[in-house]
Amino acid sequence: MTDTTGAVYDLGYEPYEGERRGRSGARRTIIADGIRRVLGLRRKARRKVLPWGLVIIAVIPAVVAVGLAFFIPGGTTDNLDIASEYGSFYVLGGTIVLLFSALAAPELLIPDRRDGVLSMLSSRPLTSNDYVASRFASVVIVVAAFLLFPQLVLYIGEAGTYADGIFAGFVDAAHKIPKSIAVGAVYTIALVPLAFFVAGLSKRKAIASSVYIASMLALSIIAEALVKEADFAGNQWFALIAPFDTANSVNLWIFDAPDPESLLTVGDIHPLVGLASLIVIASVCVYIVLRRYRKLL
Amino acid sequence: MTDTAFTATNLGHAFGDVVALHGLDVSVPRGRTGLVGANGAGKSTLIKVLLGILDPTVGSTSVLGMDSATELVDIRSVIGYMPEGPCLPLDQTAADFLVYAAGTAGLPPEAARQRASDVLTLVGLDEERFRYLGDFSTGMKQRAKLAQAIVHDPELVFLDEPTSGLDPSGRDEMLDLIARLGSFGIDVVVSSHVLRDIERTCDWVVMLDEGTLLHTGAIGGDIDEGAVRVEFAQDPTAIAQDLERRGASVSQSGRSLVVRYPAGDVYRLVRDTTASNNGTLRRLAGASSSLEELFITHGEPL
Repeated sequence: MTDTTGAVYDLGYEPYEGERRGRSGARRTIIADGIRRVLGLRRKARRKVLPWGLVIIAVIPAVVAVGLAFFIPGGTTDNLDIASEYGSFYVLGGTIVLLFSALAAPELLIPDRRDGVLSMLSSRPLTSNDYVASRFASVVIVVAAFLLFPQLVLYIGEAGTYADGIFAGFVDAAHKIPKSIAVGAVYTIALVPLAFFVAGLSKRKAIASSVYIASMLALSIIAEALVKEADFAGNQWFALIAPFDTANSVNLWIFDAPDPESLLTVGDIHPLVGLASLIVIASVCVYIVLRRYRKLL
Repeated sequence: MTDTAFTATNLGHAFGDVVALHGLDVSVPRGRTGLVGANGAGKSTLIKVLLGILDPTVGSTSVLGMDSATELVDIRSVIGYMPEGPCLPLDQTAADFLVYAAGTAGLPPEAARQRASDVLTLVGLDEERFRYLGDFSTGMKQRAKLAQAIVHDPELVFLDEPTSGLDPSGRDEMLDLIARLGSFGIDVVVSSHVLRDIERTCDWVVMLDEGTLLHTGAIGGDIDEGAVRVEFAQDPTAIAQDLERRGASVSQSGRSLVVRYPAGDVYRLVRDTTASNNGTLRRLAGASSSLEELFITHGEPL
């Protein structure tokens, strides 16, 4: 027989007297949750496969290019021409952002509607605009990381191959940093709001992803056919209905490497007009999503 | 601090042509309030309007003295809500969801984790905290829903049909938890179509029927332990008159009577009077519920 004695205590309920961060705290929590959600963090293993697969695909080319510059005898930025690859890496990055937006936007918006989590959020210091903006911010942060991390690898790699030393390389390539940020913003504006628009109206994640990707492809095909093959007055303006192509053209223009085959170039439309059209399309998409969520939260 | 949990002034809401709330005027004190009414009476709609999920078609509401139209975020900072429908992300663990629920109320991460742990223990889910919510039983989901409603220690919590889908023992445990919320310093508005649930947990009642107010008032003051409710197979008017002649107080609604007989044994009186009038009993409730009687008085019994 043991002489140990014990007791069970009902500790009851302790009121919370600590800090409350209100609306800003709520928004930060939703942003952090969104980042975890789209990357599959703290979720079952199968939820991590797609996002992390895209992360790897986004980074590997930059790592390989920089690796070649270091390990091939005589490899420098001059003879490997890494610097001119920034724009091309963005086109690859843009494709990955397209796929990532197709994955992330439904993941962020649809389960909360399907599982009724918005009901819970209606008793939190939030408005529907806060919720949508916070979800949007989650994607923007991850997309920025997608786009900028490979650029950072290239930037450091390029600087490392400079004959005058890495610091001279950093200084010499510094002018590309604002361009990289600008291009990242262009892809974000072109691709994420449209993905939110589709996800905001869909009930199933797989359907939303499929519809989004199919729509982007279809718009590219239609725009190309109308701009390059059709023969009626004003047909060149249909170049603006393909956001992904427009974003690519703006991207290459920012890096001073315009594509002569791009729809904007063929249609003789200035890239700034293309950028304006992206902003208009994004604004309309965001407005529709906000309107929809005003009835839900 | 205001003494009023919520008010509605000439409140109306319609879903297209279907009127869910019609000219509702009610003021409810802080404490534990029951919203009672049949399905479709407007209970959930009223809660959703108070939460700002639905806009009133006409009229206005306030919660804890704050105007729902202009101070919605302030209201949402101090309330909790357990919806009747689902509100749990099925791909998250209970612990992660509760931390998220506390964080969205503005609690810092460390405090959110501590509160999540404490509240999961309180609702009896401490051993299930690392299970995915999608693997929970109905009873466990209801507990998790209650947990998210109180994890941030709100001043007022709205519970919409909290016992829905629960078995009898689960129902008992949920009602016990709700009854304890008052002692935690949390005011409660609980909707139900089950009168006994409201009687057991609340001290104030708001009765709704087809979007209109039937009755509102304190529950405790209406309780009459010496009353029985009797339902007959035929028109009991003659029996009611005989009961009154024998000293009972009787209220009649159709074939139902609520009989009070403080001077003696009400059961013997009903038995003897029914027998002497050749009446046929269909139902005899052991102890009449004050809410049931109120419903008989003010509208259709549930």
